[in-house]
Amino acid sequence: MADDYLGCEPIPGGDVSQDSLYEQAADTYGSALERLARAYELDPEVRRDLLQDIHLHLWHSFAYFDQRCSLRTWVYRVAHNVATGHVIRQSRLRNRLVSIEAIETLPGSEQIESAASQSEALERLSTLIQRLKPLDRQIIVSYLEGMDANSVSEITGLSPANVAMKIHRIKNILRRWFDEGGRHGQ
Amino acid sequence: MANEHPMNDPRNIWQNQTTEAFKMSADELRSKAQRRRRKSRFEAVYSMILGFILFVAFARMFAGVQEIVPRIGWGLLSLWCIYFVYQAYKWFWTDGVASDATLNTTLQAYRRALENRRDYLLHIGRRAGLAFCFLGVAMVTAPALVKAVDDPRLLLNVAPIFVLLAIWLAIFLPTRKRNQRKLQQEIEELRRFERENFDSLAAGAN
Repeated sequence: MADDYLGCEPIPGGDVSQDSLYEQAADTYGSALERLARAYELDPEVRRDLLQDIHLHLWHSFAYFDQRCSLRTWVYRVAHNVATGHVIRQSRLRNRLVSIEAIETLPGSEQIESAASQSEALERLSTLIQRLKPLDRQIIVSYLEGMDANSVSEITGLSPANVAMKIHRIKNILRRWFDEGGRHGQ
Repeated sequence: MANEHPMNDPRNIWQNQTTEAFKMSADELRSKAQRRRRKSRFEAVYSMILGFILFVAFARMFAGVQEIVPRIGWGLLSLWCIYFVYQAYKWFWTDGVASDATLNTTLQAYRRALENRRDYLLHIGRRAGLAFCFLGVAMVTAPALVKAVDDPRLLLNVAPIFVLLAIWLAIFLPTRKRNQRKLQQEIEELRRFERENFDSLAAGAN
């Protein structure tokens, strides 16, 4: 049985529904959670610990899942919140993080040449994500996962208009970091 | 276009990265949760035993010293150890570190985590009972320092400690202040976001 979580009463149904919900979430969103962990931690060893932590929190949390939101929203909220806690604990690193707006206004020297391979391109993308503050990181990760503004808004709590504006900026940055680099390389 | 130049399509790159299909079995999860709890309990017991040992040591000094000022100093240090034991129990034994991961949106959870961090830094001295500790140490060392007025060479013996303490304070205080300022700025930024959201949602409802 899960320990008391946030002082909430567990939902009747016990371990079975908690375990089966976790199974379902891990099967459906397992890969996405691994990618999400990559957005928050570059070191593979620490990333594995973070991923285990996310899974553990998810499993705990399902004892209290009341279906007020979709399974996907719940999974992403838990995962992002655990990962954000991980970033906040690294205060030295956290002080160097910037917002999407700050990256958008960086001078042209930040534009990078074309990536030689898929892994190099992924490395570049991870580097960009790792520089962002947690909330902006959540938005870019959700965008990269293919979510629309409404879904991101449900997870983050930002208004859809705010999310749409941020996504617009993210697209601009990504275009600068990838399209232009790609063209230079051709 | 994305297929022709997949390396120029960040979504494609992101979604096609290799993953291991990581998943934990129910048994693994339960055992990990138990291990975590055991570790937390072990840290609590370890800290509490350490606190008790120091308490006994300081209490013996308290009983053995005749001069009134150092005696009060040792007494304060013993009390500080008891407070340390209480804090260890409160923070480790009761698992006071649960993350509020689910009931809030990530914006709320992020702001709350930053506020907790800010409050922790702000009250770290009070939580650690440092006032008791410093006052106790001052009272224990004060008579020796008074004696050193007659023989200044004695001051040389304790000078390195005071120099190190001064260096530590010179680094610690500005760093703490800077960190708190940054945290506060970020919290304000998030509050502004929340206000904007509230306004735009209210406008949408009208």
